[in-house]
Amino acid sequence: MQVNQAKSQFVAVASIAAELSAVMEVAKEISLAAANAKAIAFRAGEKAKGFQPITDFINELAKDTIELVNNINEYAFHLYRLTVNEQRMTEACKRFEKVEQLAAGARYADSLTTSLQEVRLRTQLCHREFILQVSELLIKLADVMHPARAARVIAANSRIEASQAGEYLQSLQAVAESVDNAAQIINDKVHKCRSALTIINVAE
Amino acid sequence: MRMTKIYEGAYQWIMLGRDVHKPEKIIDTNQYMVRTANRCLLIDPGGIELFAPMLAAVLHHAPVEEITDLFASHQDPDIISSLGLWDQALPNAKLHAAALWEGFLRHFGCETIEYVPIPDHGGVINLGAIELQIIPAHYLHASANFHVYDPHAKILMSGDVGAALEAPGMPVFVENFDMHIEKMRYFHQRWMPSNQAKRAWIDRVRKLDIDILAPQHGRMFKGDDVKRFLDWFEALQVGIAV
Ligand SMILES: [Fe+2]
Ligand SMILES: [Fe+2]
Repeated sequence: MQVNQAKSQFVAVASIAAELSAVMEVAKEISLAAANAKAIAFRAGEKAKGFQPITDFINELAKDTIELVNNINEYAFHLYRLTVNEQRMTEACKRFEKVEQLAAGARYADSLTTSLQEVRLRTQLCHREFILQVSELLIKLADVMHPARAARVIAANSRIEASQAGEYLQSLQAVAESVDNAAQIINDKVHKCRSALTIINVAE
Repeated sequence: MRMTKIYEGAYQWIMLGRDVHKPEKIIDTNQYMVRTANRCLLIDPGGIELFAPMLAAVLHHAPVEEITDLFASHQDPDIISSLGLWDQALPNAKLHAAALWEGFLRHFGCETIEYVPIPDHGGVINLGAIELQIIPAHYLHASANFHVYDPHAKILMSGDVGAALEAPGMPVFVENFDMHIEKMRYFHQRWMPSNQAKRAWIDRVRKLDIDILAPQHGRMFKGDDVKRFLDWFEALQVGIAV
């Protein structure tokens, strides 16, 4: 791991963590919007009949997203640990090579060879594990896109249902709007995560 | 890294320091090695920047698998920031360091090495051939701070106590105590926070039979200079920044 590569790996992993916590916030907002919509639809009674099942569905989507992100957070943390380890071992390799050079001719110079080989091997294993985890994380991130995409479709449906809700039109439309926005934001954030990860992959 | 044998018997004490490759802005440090027939203890093994020259020097005396013990007098970076590297180089080593600092020192990386926490009242380091005493020196200057005393070789490794800052390449022993005072005064007045702690340490150390007082910076004191140092330090007011 070169210095710049290590830096970009740290930055990428940190930015994923940041994007994920933003996704979490937005998912919680959706969940709130769903509760809000449910209350309005309840008050609107007959007029918002078509809207009621939609609110439950929105709530489900928010829950799914939160669960997925929780799961992904663990991956992101694991990636961070791997990055720290790899960086430490790379540093150790560099220093051990320096020792070999300085200790040339020393009576016990060879005794370091095993440690050096082991650290090299562990660095490689660690890096392989990192790459593996990145590709798994990419798949998980694709999973988060699904509820977000579904939420957008639902938001479109909600607008149609809202139009039949008489005096509740505006508040229900606002709900649809906020779900749509939230889904769009999640979509963007997840895209950012994916491109951060792709940068790491490309850097290899 | 220059190596100076300071005790030779059934085992050896070697002082390592005065490294000519040391980056300029890094404080110069003395490291100490106690080498028995099949074990090796490194006392205050030093900072990350010093790791390569330090290990390279040690390899003249011991293979990595026989470096079985590390000791850190306190948590400072010049003492032990190399821990994460030793951790990957040494297959079977223990680190003897204050229990109080464990959660802090582990930030440097300590997974292979076994952390042996030293309680506040001190303890021993048993190297088989010789047992060394861990002497409390709390607040001199770190909150949890220890020195190593070898009753057989009569050496007290005194961490930052007795330290002096001077130009690189200075001799390893104090030659003229009176001329050495100015090189120690500010360091002790500024770094040592407590007159009370200082008095407690002096009372304790006066009871030990010491031939060589070996600090982590500057020169070692031997013979009568040890007593001169204790007298001087006793009279010095420390903790001057407040
Ligand atoms: Fe210190
Ligand atoms: Fe120091």
